[in-house]
Amino acid sequence: MELNDFAERNKENLGFVSLDAPLLSNLDVWINIALIKQYHENLSAEKARALVLSYLRKYGMEHIAEKRNPALTSKERFCAMLIRAAMVRDAVIVIDRPFTVLTDVKNDRFICDALKVVENSFRECHIFDYMWHKERYRTATA
Amino acid sequence: MSLFKLLHNLPYEGIMINAITRIGAKSINLARTFRDTIYFATVIILKMFSKASYSSAMRVVLVQQIYFTSVQILPLFIGISIIFGTLLMGIVLQIVKNLGLAEHIGSIIMDIVVAELAPFVTVLLIALRSSSAINTEIAVMKVNKELNTLEKFNIDPVDYLFLPRVINGVVSVVLLSAFFSILVLTSGLIFSKALFGLSLESYSNVLLSSANFYDIVISLIKCCTFGFFITLIPIRFGLNATNDLTSIPISVLNGMVDVFIAIVFIEVLSLILIFI
Repeated sequence: MELNDFAERNKENLGFVSLDAPLLSNLDVWINIALIKQYHENLSAEKARALVLSYLRKYGMEHIAEKRNPALTSKERFCAMLIRAAMVRDAVIVIDRPFTVLTDVKNDRFICDALKVVENSFRECHIFDYMWHKERYRTATA
Repeated sequence: MSLFKLLHNLPYEGIMINAITRIGAKSINLARTFRDTIYFATVIILKMFSKASYSSAMRVVLVQQIYFTSVQILPLFIGISIIFGTLLMGIVLQIVKNLGLAEHIGSIIMDIVVAELAPFVTVLLIALRSSSAINTEIAVMKVNKELNTLEKFNIDPVDYLFLPRVINGVVSVVLLSAFFSILVLTSGLIFSKALFGLSLESYSNVLLSSANFYDIVISLIKCCTFGFFITLIPIRFGLNATNDLTSIPISVLNGMVDVFIAIVFIEVLSLILIFI
């Protein structure tokens, strides 16, 4: 199925992880993530920050909370985008070509581990990638 | 005889037709820009009065914007207000004394300094500092596909990005303009005492008796209009940026020229309203 069609069908609950939906570069990581809850659920900044920090702690990445997008490593950027996607209520997470974000990762092990950390925070997760990347998705399920 | 036939009877008709075509194209462009700006302004005003626009995220941005525009600028603003305002006040009061117009001192201070100069200096400073920043910020967001992020997460950019900046523009111009007036009126007190021997009480009485409610309302509306358009226009031009990095300076250049035109237009309009 085409990514755009799928995204359109799940527009209301879409948690998008893609370089086509980058982190906002003039905001700290925690504000980028908190924004979803603050905007859609009117959560106060304090509560949203505490929630974001609890997620970052799960990844051992509390230190990136005050950083901005250009200062992140590819793994930190991916996790931040994944947490942001998980903030959507009943999230249908769509990861679009994950290896364009995770430029220094060879296989899907890191992606699967990252998804396990937030597995209770989303309804579904779908990964869209090129067919020629098929081999890179064998390791975690092997 | 039709205009077309008339032009064909003239020498150099090709040049004239080209010139008229260019003028026509420019006029159409100008009319389109004006129409789009009015449409965008209407959308922003409608959102301004919608409770749903004021989410927690939007309020955080609003507070940050007011801090960036009204608080961070304070040292520069106070410095310029004191130097410029004091010198101008000194010159104006000296001229008033030389021309023997001491009895009109109140109206001269209120009409020239408070009603005209304060909003104008304030809006120029804020436009130079914040309008250019807003224009660049929105253009960079467009180029970096960050506006796409908001769309993907169902966040209305009008609510989250544009409205706080426009409200901040209105609030900042009104507050800083009032602050400029206070600083200049304070230096006016010093000069009035030195040149005319006026006490604080007499000075206050002169100013209060010269204050005209209609003029104050016009000044307030002018400040709000200034603040509204010097933030709205840069946003609109920022959105005109393409996906190309080189479109950013072009968007800022065009936006800032239009901001300047808008400032002059509003100033002239307010002068007409005051003097009719």
